[in-house]
Parts: sequence; C-alpha cells; structure tokens
Amino acid sequence: MMKKIIVFLLLATSIQSKAQELFVMTEPASNMPAGAIGVRAMNSFMYEKDGTLNYHIMPEIMWGISAKWMVHLQSFHSSRTTGGLKTEGGSIYAKYRFYSSDEMHKHFRMALYGRYSKNRADIHQDEIETMGHNTGYEGGIVATKLVNKVAVSSSLSFEKALNNMPDYKFPTTQSNNATNYTLSIGKLMYPKKYTSLNQTNINLMCEFLGQRLNANGKSNLDIVPSLQFIIRSQARIDLAYRKQLYSTMTRTAPNGFMVKFEYTFFNVTK
Amino acid sequence: MLLNFYKMNKIILVTAMLVSTFISNAQIAKVEIMATGLTCSMCSNAINKQLKTLAEVEKVDIDLNKNLFLITLKKDNQLTPKTFKDKVEKAGFFVGSMVLFMHFNNQTVEDNKQIDKYIFIDTKAQTLNGLTKVKLLDKGYVTTKEYKKLSQRFVKYTSYNNDNEQDFHLKAM
Repeated sequence: MMKKIIVFLLLATSIQSKAQELFVMTEPASNMPAGAIGVRAMNSFMYEKDGTLNYHIMPEIMWGISAKWMVHLQSFHSSRTTGGLKTEGGSIYAKYRFYSSDEMHKHFRMALYGRYSKNRADIHQDEIETMGHNTGYEGGIVATKLVNKVAVSSSLSFEKALNNMPDYKFPTTQSNNATNYTLSIGKLMYPKKYTSLNQTNINLMCEFLGQRLNANGKSNLDIVPSLQFIIRSQARIDLAYRKQLYSTMTRTAPNGFMVKFEYTFFNVTK
Repeated sequence: MLLNFYKMNKIILVTAMLVSTFISNAQIAKVEIMATGLTCSMCSNAINKQLKTLAEVEKVDIDLNKNLFLITLKKDNQLTPKTFKDKVEKAGFFVGSMVLFMHFNNQTVEDNKQIDKYIFIDTKAQTLNGLTKVKLLDKGYVTTKEYKKLSQRFVKYTSYNNDNEQDFHLKAM
C-alpha cells in the first residue's frame, strides 16, 4: 500500500500542469465568492463488515456571505438501518478566512472553521464523525498553499461528540473527543493550456484523513484518491475511493466509493 | 432682468462645458486587471461573474492562462478603479495590477499633478491626448511585494502613503 501511495504522489507532483484546491473530503482555506450559492450532494457507498453496501447521501447548501465568511447547511440520510433511506441528522458549518497572501499564480491562506451537528443514529463505533454519525461539534484551523499550480492543504481540528437524539447516550467507555488532522494535495491534469471557460478541467487529488481519540489514544488514518471534473467552470463531479490505511479503533464501514456533485450559482445575493 | 437671464444661462453653459470636459477627462474606457491568487478557470469565472454584475460593463475578455481580464465599459460611465478592485476581492481574489484606458483631451500632466481624483506620479511632463494607458500604483492595485517597494520609492509623494481610498495614483505609460 505504501508503495502505491508513493508512486501516486510522485505521479501527482511530477506532471506539469495546473492545480486545484477544491478538495473532495476537506474544505480549503479559500471561500466561495461573496454572494454565490452552491448546492452539493455527497453520495457514499460504504462496505459494511459483512460485505453489504450501505448508502449515505449528504445534500448541502453553501453560501458565500462575504469574501471572508461562508456558511453551509447540510443534512444526513442513510440506508444503514433497515427500511430504506432515513434522515439521521443535519449540521451547520461556518468558515472565516483570516489570512491571505496572494501573488501571481499562487497564494497562502488560512481560515478558522466550526461545525455543529445533530444526529439520531445509534452510536455504533469508536470513531467520532459529526458529519453524519454523531451529535457534536468540531472547531479547527486550515492552511492552504497554492504554488505554481499545485495545491496543498492541511487542517487540524478538535471534535467532540455529545449524546445522539433521541436518547442514544454517548458510551462512557469511549473517548468523546478527538483530534483530527488532514493533508490534501491536488493537481490539475487537464487542460494543459486554457482556451475557454467552457473547457472541462480534470483534477487529480489525494487526501489523507486521520483521527486520534484523545482519551484513549486510539487512532486511524485513511487515504482518499480522487478524480474531479469541473464542467463549464460552474459544476463539479468528484469520484473518490476511501481506503483505511490503519486503525486501532472500531469503525463499521471505513472503506467505500464516493460520488459528489456540486453546482455554483454566482451572484445570487449582493 | 433679461440680461440677467442671459448671464445666468451663460454661466450654466460654461459650467456644463467645464463639467463635461472634466468628465471626459476622468472617463475610463477599458480596464485591464491581472488577478492574483488563482490558477483555476472556476476562479476566473467567479471574477468574470462579479464584473458582469456592473451595468456599465459592456464585455469582459479573459486570458485564463495569465489571469488577465480586459473589461470594456459603456460610454459615459462614472466608475472608479475601486469598483473593480472591490469586485475582484468579492470573488475571493486580489488585484495584482490594474491598467486603465482613459480618454484625454490635450491634458497636460506632470509629476505630482492632480486631476480630479487622479494624481500622476513617477510621470514626466507631457500632454495626454486620445485613449491613453495609465497604471494604478496604489496599495491594493499592485501585488503586496510591489507595494512594499513602491511605498519606499514614493516617500516624497505625501498623498501616496496616506492609504486614502478616494484618490488614485497613476503613472502614464
């Protein structure tokens, strides 16, 4: 596995072209344009231990309040339990870009972000995930560097799980808070040279997502390679595969495929 | 009474003529912006869409590889450079350079001469006529690195380091 990662990274950094920072699994320090509204749907097909696939869909609406502030509203639906697709919860997310150093074809930016989520799923794993599994909150910092068309982004956050609705208490035997860290690398593979806004752009990305449970030191690390298509400079289709590299905590379905759709409506609000 | 009426009319006429020369002097025909901090076409599109919200904009031509935006404006617009800077920043990016294409009518300029809200600096005495390119030198209209250099070079122009967003420092190109 390590060999594959190294080959992938070498491949991603050796090919000369332009890069993207619109990552699949993480948010960059940059925001949406002010006044823009984005709609997004993350579809996940995750393998359960018995080999069956469960389906999660997380529709999201995003709004660029100003150049520095943006908010997301998201809901979580899953077919994990019997009886078809069920709504399990929702979340509100906000990001504030507090630092920007921009030059020709490059930038370094930093942002603070926070999320608050509600969830009514049963608590069935050690892993804390306020995006779809746990009621709780997350707060963190993200830094994104774009140099000569290669984007690298890294984040560090604190995440705390509370009791799930309606009365799924968070197990006292588990750590209810965690430290998360991510590293994302993105590169534009096509086109080599832009000719119009209608050209489809293809980005190759690789993200690493890690979590450490603060109370007991249990941890995990996942790798998510992805391919992204940007259509008419306005729509996005992401294809990704999430693979657990290692884990010392219980997780029910860490591996699977993801398909994400996104569309941006520019200048909806002033 | 009649004479007074004529006098008044003359004054109005002269004032109107003065105002119209002054307007034609400050009239921007085109703006060329190099935006910083981006490489992707979706980012360029964000700037493009912001610029097109201005009713005074006739068209926007984009060089996606160089992040250059050439904005053609409708006649008799009253826009100032700040409008364009604000639009680029609302899209989430910054202005790396801004060149204005302005109409001049035998306008004499010299170093540190102010015409309306525009102050010519680093400029030799000359007469500007017809469509002329001028480059903005203020903070926010050049890259951060360039501004650091310019703020030292232009210490002698007291207005330059004032950070006043109402006046603009230009260099005739």
